[in-house]
Amino acid sequence: MKLQIKNLFIITMLLFVTIGGTTSCGSKKKMAKKEYEAKVEQAKKDLNAIINEETLWTLEEQKARVEEIEKMDLQNPEIDELIIKAKEILNREIAEAERLAEEERLRQLEEQNQMKPKTSLEDYFAIIAAAPDAETANEKIAEALKLFASPDVPVLIIIYHVGDIIDYDAPTTAERYLNYIKDQKKVNVGIKNIKYDNDNKITELELIKK
Amino acid sequence: MKKILLTLLFGIFLLGNTQSFAQELSPERKQAIDSLALEKVRDLSKYIKIVGSKETPWSEANRVIDRAEELFAPEAEIGVSSLTSNQVMYYKVRQYLERLMRLNYDRVEIDWYKIEYVSDLQRQPDGTYVGVITVFQTFKGFDKEGRLIYQDTTKKDITVYVKRKETQIGGRLIGFWDVLLGDMRVKETTH
Repeated sequence: MKLQIKNLFIITMLLFVTIGGTTSCGSKKKMAKKEYEAKVEQAKKDLNAIINEETLWTLEEQKARVEEIEKMDLQNPEIDELIIKAKEILNREIAEAERLAEEERLRQLEEQNQMKPKTSLEDYFAIIAAAPDAETANEKIAEALKLFASPDVPVLIIIYHVGDIIDYDAPTTAERYLNYIKDQKKVNVGIKNIKYDNDNKITELELIKK
Repeated sequence: MKKILLTLLFGIFLLGNTQSFAQELSPERKQAIDSLALEKVRDLSKYIKIVGSKETPWSEANRVIDRAEELFAPEAEIGVSSLTSNQVMYYKVRQYLERLMRLNYDRVEIDWYKIEYVSDLQRQPDGTYVGVITVFQTFKGFDKEGRLIYQDTTKKDITVYVKRKETQIGGRLIGFWDVLLGDMRVKETTH
């Protein structure tokens, strides 16, 4: 009798454990499904926000989130499609941001250059005339020629101007005139008129004898 | 009477034509042209100094020879004299400059001074203005030790030709005065 009671107790305990264990595993599965669904839902939400540009995240944060979702491997075709779309949009936006940053960098560089005191053509004339040797003068001539559209740009020198009458010296070219200054070591002209092209390079130079 | 009238009318016509052809330049304008021609001679003096200098790099000397040659009329000649000879030798401009570049001294000093008109620019029938400019040139040749081994002073006369020409630049008609130097004749050479 004692043995029977003992066996019944053991069976009851086993049943209890078995039933109890089964109930716990089911709730765990339920929990995992809920979690997965929540993850899918959040991923969709985030991806759509990225695609529709409705997020306040930075581009880096958005990129990181897309990579995170991709790593989750949620096995959801809709998510996979959204990831592709989001990546396309992010790549485009990153490229645009890089382009804007480069533009800004160039703008700042230009601003800095404009702030730097530029050597004017008249300065170059004086520097070339005062150069201590031919080599130094030639370096400055090469620099000065960068102001011109080409070394053959015409240079006209007015020797007399009264009313409609304008007399010039024989026309020369930018390169020849700069070399002339180097050889003669003097500048006895002023700049009367300069014509420029669209690149802001000199296309014609008119000088007047002082 | 009719003949006299016709002759008179023809004379007036000729006079008018000659006057419009001759078109005298205002003194200020003439002065500007005089100065331009003088400046070309001064430019030449600098070129000769550069070519003669032993410190001038070869490429620079050759470039300057080109520029100097362009100052002259095509057949112009330059006279060369020496205290050691009574003979004056005449060379074409390029030949003269190339000889100058190769002179057998270790250092050469050439200076021009008193550059002035001896004969003012005068208008010729073809419209060219012709004048004569005189210059004094001192030449000094030194040896390796820096000793002066030759020195002379030469008075030279340079004929200058100035003619008005026109050219198109940037769609504009530009009137310019073309100055060309003619022969450079030796007048006298002294110590």
